[in-house]
Amino acid sequence: MNASMIGLDLPRRDATDKLRGQTRYTVDRARPGMLHAALRRAEVPAGRIVRVDLEPARRMPGVRAVVGSADAPGRSGMVAGDQTLFATGEVRFVGEPIAAVAADTAEQARAAAAAIVVELEPLPPVLTMAEALAPDAPLVHPDWRDYPQFVPGGQRAGNVAWEATVVRDDVAAAFARPDVTVVESTFRVGRQNQASLEPRACVVTFEDGRFLIETSTQAPWTVRDTTASLLGVRPADVRVVVPAVGGGFGLKFAFGLEPFAALLARASGRSVRLANSRRDEMLTALCRENAEIRIRSAVTASGEIVGREAVVLMDCGAYGGEQPFLASMTAHTLGGSYRLGAVRLVSRAIYTNTPPTGAFRACNGTYNVFALERHTDEICQAVGMDPVEFRKRNVIGDGAIGATGQVFEGDVLGPMLDRMAALRAKSRKRPAVSDGRLVGRATVVGTWFILVGPSAATVNLNPDGTATVVTSGVEIGSGAMVQALPQIVAHSLGLRPEDVVVRQADTDAAGYDVGVGGGRTTVSLGAASVAACQEVRKKLLQIASDMLEAAPDDLVLEAGHVQVVGAPQLKVSIAAVAQRAQAVTGPISGSGAFTAPGTASRPGCTAGHLVDALDLPVFAVHECEVAVDPETGQVEVLAYRVVQDVGRAINPRAIGGQIQGGVVQGLGYALHEEVTIGTDGQVRQQGFETYRVPLAQDVVPVEIDLYEGAPSIGPLGTKGAGEVPILNVAAAVACAVANATGRPVREIPLTPPRVLELLDGAADELPLPHIKARWEDNLLGTGAG
Amino acid sequence: MAMQITVNGEARTIAAAPLTPLVEVLREELFLTGAKQACSEGFCGACTVLVDDQPVASCLLPVGLAEGRAVRTVESLGAGNGLSPLQAAMLEQDAVQCGMCFPGILMALTGLLERRPDASEADIRTALAGNICRCTGYERIIAAALAAGAALRQPEGATP
Ligand code: FES
Ligand code: FES
Repeated sequence: MNASMIGLDLPRRDATDKLRGQTRYTVDRARPGMLHAALRRAEVPAGRIVRVDLEPARRMPGVRAVVGSADAPGRSGMVAGDQTLFATGEVRFVGEPIAAVAADTAEQARAAAAAIVVELEPLPPVLTMAEALAPDAPLVHPDWRDYPQFVPGGQRAGNVAWEATVVRDDVAAAFARPDVTVVESTFRVGRQNQASLEPRACVVTFEDGRFLIETSTQAPWTVRDTTASLLGVRPADVRVVVPAVGGGFGLKFAFGLEPFAALLARASGRSVRLANSRRDEMLTALCRENAEIRIRSAVTASGEIVGREAVVLMDCGAYGGEQPFLASMTAHTLGGSYRLGAVRLVSRAIYTNTPPTGAFRACNGTYNVFALERHTDEICQAVGMDPVEFRKRNVIGDGAIGATGQVFEGDVLGPMLDRMAALRAKSRKRPAVSDGRLVGRATVVGTWFILVGPSAATVNLNPDGTATVVTSGVEIGSGAMVQALPQIVAHSLGLRPEDVVVRQADTDAAGYDVGVGGGRTTVSLGAASVAACQEVRKKLLQIASDMLEAAPDDLVLEAGHVQVVGAPQLKVSIAAVAQRAQAVTGPISGSGAFTAPGTASRPGCTAGHLVDALDLPVFAVHECEVAVDPETGQVEVLAYRVVQDVGRAINPRAIGGQIQGGVVQGLGYALHEEVTIGTDGQVRQQGFETYRVPLAQDVVPVEIDLYEGAPSIGPLGTKGAGEVPILNVAAAVACAVANATGRPVREIPLTPPRVLELLDGAADELPLPHIKARWEDNLLGTGAG
Repeated sequence: MAMQITVNGEARTIAAAPLTPLVEVLREELFLTGAKQACSEGFCGACTVLVDDQPVASCLLPVGLAEGRAVRTVESLGAGNGLSPLQAAMLEQDAVQCGMCFPGILMALTGLLERRPDASEADIRTALAGNICRCTGYERIIAAALAAGAALRQPEGATP
């Protein structure tokens, strides 16, 4: 092993082409004779389909294929098949696909899609979670029971698509104690659009009876399997290849446009391109869901949290999608960070007639941490403790029991709080704000967890002394596949990173992989690759031991050579060994696989959880300083600091880039990004003019300290670093604004009008009457549901 | 009626209709896919090119209005297979993530640094007011632009 590869700031191998404009993303791809596709989408949020006539489109110029619901009978969904590719029977959100057209040009396709006759009988829509939970609410899915059930026994009813609960120990008894103060807080957050600059796009060809899908995705195997099930073909008849991806942030963890283009490619016999416009992405991206939260805690005078309960409502939109899975995360995000006595939490995914929501970097962690940290500051106020002192006392450490009963290893958050103090002390001093603006600061903690899931890797040792690593990993911009992975493989085989070729993701070439998300890539693909390298190493040393007449145990791999320990002049190049192997044993390759069983929940403690285990916790401490203009309501971020638990930093500079980028996405979320839906069911922000993302003038350089050494199951002790940077940002900004204004921040984003309301005291209370007073009344089976 | 445009120093004859957005001509007719069409509304800047040395959102410019003018795209930067000082600084700073925004950002900053190699940090942020990067949080891009400006001010300085 050559340790020197780890901790190095190696450059990205894909950067030069990206800087030269030579990288061909999916949106840049073309094939001979390629057709262009367009979708016909619903224009109302709810309606019964009376008639869809595709014939007028077929007669339009340039049209080569038109498909609709009869062509794709399959159903998709995580817990139940609540979704079809095209609206069937009813439309349930504005933007829902009804039919698809392929034509010689994009304009012809759009014109033909518009010519399709769609007759609907409007139905009353439910557009908010409050409406959806009203006793007499219309049902978004009245026929739910007829859908195929993929996870039997789950909790759902009415417009509640899914419910996940945690109950550990006796919460009622904790709240009834005479020596506790009860603190209750409510919060609301908006939707956030991933807004990757490359929209969802694909080019599909049907050849030799199989679909070849080139697509912009984070999860090629999900695209393969979902396309197959929606089209009713074998998964093996779908091949997914992934070019460079122009940003994903979770949006591309689900399937996108691939099944539409696949149907059209098969129907037309031609390659078909389908790409979303920005407007399409604004209307239909699987946004981070809007949510409503109530937390209540029972705290002793000395600041011990003896009881906690929470209700989290997540708007999943018209279809469940990934939300049943995301609902399980509340246990570890809202239930994380602090030592708790008794605890009970319920996360409910609620159907509405709005576009489906989904995964976005750190998922519900961003708002659960916002709610938890604001609530924590309200506890501090109620019991009269300093917020940082309170956190130091109460954060989880070695031996602490998590919400679902798993036991944490190592003291991490506590020392990280100390490191934050040190980082602040080193910080450049700024002149004091003396223009009448209100200044505030907050330090917040957060817990994320990586679900590693299965990964496979093959490593081929080539006769020129290079290695090729074959996985289904995708490079979405984080650098995991172009920096960390070759560094790990090079480290394992005594090669230089530039001697490691990384195969583009291709489901025909590599084994199963969950996809790039949650920060799992470096951990899972890294570990699978290390396992593959071990097999390669063993074979390599076997051959080399003959060549060098030394026992394999006495050999090491170093700088492209196999050498004898203690006699560095006795060596042979890895290339020479690989060539020798061709003659003796055949080419050298190794395969590796990885998954982790995780730490299971305490039996009986959870229900409705699609993940019961916590594989790998990751911690973050953030600090934010703000100035709030009382005249305009403008919030300026003056300074931002991050101490992040990375396990071991494979490439510290690349991690720094992830932190800066993730924090800035979080600043957008905290301060101005919000997708809202009008009373007509239309998304109000249909482009970047109205959906404002952070620009160069809005941001500050983030001060960063990487915390190494926390326990990790990852290869070389690493943890994924790309997901976590956004986790605490809304919390840090909201707590700092509350600190500056002396008012309770209950809603984000903190747009100027909302800050002015806050300053007026008009936002002190946030009633959420559809969250019932008694926690139990918010559960299916026991309450009004 | 075919029209003539100079693209990256070469005279090109364009077949597209005059109202076609320049970015579509570049990408679909000339196969210069560097410039990206990420919003088509003038708000993301990924399609930025230089038209007679001025940064322009090429999704908003009908190709007819570029007739007889000189268009430069990201593909023109750097001599031969080399990188321009600005591109080299971006590489040096590990600024690139997904990369989709860079073709536009590089042209916006090239336009600035050609006019003002001494551009300040505030000038650079202003020049980027029309460019969205969703990945990087901008700071390394700004640091790279400052470094490139410094390199250009050296006596032997090349073009940005
Ligand atoms: S595509 Fe031109 S500004 Fe976005
Ligand atoms: S690097 Fe991805 S948008 Fe800038």
